[in-house]
Amino acid sequence: MLKLVGALLVIGAGTLAGFYQAQQFAVRPRQLRELILALQRLETEISYGFTPLPDALERISASLRDPLKSLFAQAAQYMRPDYGLSAEDSIRKALEDYWKRTSMKNAEREVMEQLGGVLGTSDRQDQMKHIALAAQQLKHEEEAARDDQAKYEKMSKSLGLLIGALIVILIF
Amino acid sequence: MTLNWLGLFPESVKRMLLNLPSELLEHVEEVRIREERPLEINSQGRYHFLDRNGGLTLRPEEAYKPTREDTHRLLDLISNHSLYTMEEELRKGFITIPGGHRVGLAGRTVLSGGKVEHIRDISGFNVRIAKEIRGAADEMLPHLLDRKRKRVMHTLILSPPQHGKTTLLRDLARQISYGQWGAGTVRWPGMKVGIVDERSEIAGCQRGVPGFDVGPRTDVLDGCPKAEGMMMMIRSMSPDVLIVDEIGRAEDAEAVVEALHAGISVIATAHGSSVQDMRGRPALSGLIENRMFEMYAVLSRTGDARSFKLYDGGQRTLQSAASGPPGGDAYA
Repeated sequence: MLKLVGALLVIGAGTLAGFYQAQQFAVRPRQLRELILALQRLETEISYGFTPLPDALERISASLRDPLKSLFAQAAQYMRPDYGLSAEDSIRKALEDYWKRTSMKNAEREVMEQLGGVLGTSDRQDQMKHIALAAQQLKHEEEAARDDQAKYEKMSKSLGLLIGALIVILIF
Repeated sequence: MTLNWLGLFPESVKRMLLNLPSELLEHVEEVRIREERPLEINSQGRYHFLDRNGGLTLRPEEAYKPTREDTHRLLDLISNHSLYTMEEELRKGFITIPGGHRVGLAGRTVLSGGKVEHIRDISGFNVRIAKEIRGAADEMLPHLLDRKRKRVMHTLILSPPQHGKTTLLRDLARQISYGQWGAGTVRWPGMKVGIVDERSEIAGCQRGVPGFDVGPRTDVLDGCPKAEGMMMMIRSMSPDVLIVDEIGRAEDAEAVVEALHAGISVIATAHGSSVQDMRGRPALSGLIENRMFEMYAVLSRTGDARSFKLYDGGQRTLQSAASGPPGGDAYA
C-alpha cells in the first residue's frame, strides 16, 4: 500500500516537473514579446515625448504585467536621486533583482544589460538606434523561443510523466 | 544653508567634498571638474585643488584627478539619466538643475550648418552653486525708489561674472513683491513683479514653480527668450516691475524700450564693469544715450567684500556703499 502511494507521488512529481518545464517554454516567447513592446514604447517616450528615463520606465511599467512590471518599476526606483546610481547601475541592479522571476534566458539578459549601458547617454537619434537594435536582437530570440516552444512544449509534458514512470519502474 | 547640490556628484567626489571644513563648504561658489585634471573648487574668491582625502592644495600634481568614470556618472546624474532631453541645453552649453544651480559644460562641439548643435565627449564641468541670500538687496533697494511717483526706477545693474548679479536680482524681486523695500523707511504695499528667466537661474523653477522665494506677487516666465518674454509679460501679465537677467542683444534693447514706454519699471542686468563699457556695446549704447535707464548700479568685489556704486541717468556718481548682509556673505 505504502509503496503504491510512493509510486504515485513520484509519478505526480515527475508530471508536475514536466508541466513546469513546458510552462517555461510557453511563457518565454510571451515575455519576450512583451519586452519588445516595452522597448518600442520606450522609443516613443524618448523620441516624441522627451520623457526623462525614470519617468518613462515608470509609465511603461504601469502597462506591463509582472515580472516585467516590477523589473521596470525597480529600475526607475533605483534611478531616484537618493540612490546616487547611474542609469547603467540602476538597470543592472534591477535585472539582478528580478531576472530570476522571468522565464527568459541569458541571451536576452545580455541584450538588456548592453542597452542599459547606453540608455540616456546620448542624443535622441542615437538612443533610438540602440533601442531598435536591442529590439531586433530580442526578436531573433523570440523566434528561436517560438521554435523551442513548438518542439519541446508537448514533449516536456509527456517526458515528465514518462520519467516519473521510469523511476517508479527502476525502484520496484 | 542647504547642501542639496551635493547629491548630484558621484560618490567618490561627494566624499571628498564632505571632508572639507564646513565653513568652506558652505561658501563654495563653483566646483570645477575636468577629466584627468585636478579637481578645483572656488570659494570666497579663491581657488583650491582637492586631494584624494578632501584636503586643500595648490599643487596640481597632488590633487585628485577625476576619471572618465567620474565624469560619466556626473553627466548621468545631472541629466537625470536622460541626456536626450537636454538637446536645447547642450546647444547653449549649460544645464540648470533643481535648486537653480547651473552646470556649464565643455567638450567637443558638433556643428550643423555652422552653428553649434550640441556638445559631445563632455569632459569639463563647472557647477555654479546658486545661493539665496535674503537681504542681499537691503542696501541697494532704497536708492532705486522714486518716492514722488511711488515707483521703482528703471535700473541697469552692471557687473562682471561671479559678482552676485543673479542673487541680487532674486532678492530685489522678493522684496518688491513682498513690499519690504530694504533698509529704508518706505512703507508701500508689494508690487506685481514679472521675471523673464531665460536660464532658470533667478527663480530656479522646477516644472514652472519657483524653487526660490521670489515673493507672493511674482510671475515667472521660465526658460523664455528675454525679448519675447518681456513682450509676453507686458501684454498679458501687467507687471509693475519687470526683471530680466543679462540683456545684450539688439532685440532685448527693443523690448526694454517697449516696456519703458508701457510704464513698467525695468530692472535688468548686463555683463560689464562700468557704464563706459556699455557705450561700446552697439545693442546697449542706444539705451544709454537716450537715457532710458534712470539708475545704473555697478557691482564690484575684492575677495569677499562686495560693494556697489550708483550712477544716475546722466552717469553722475550718486552713492557708493558696501553691499550685502553683515559679514559680507559670498554670493555667486
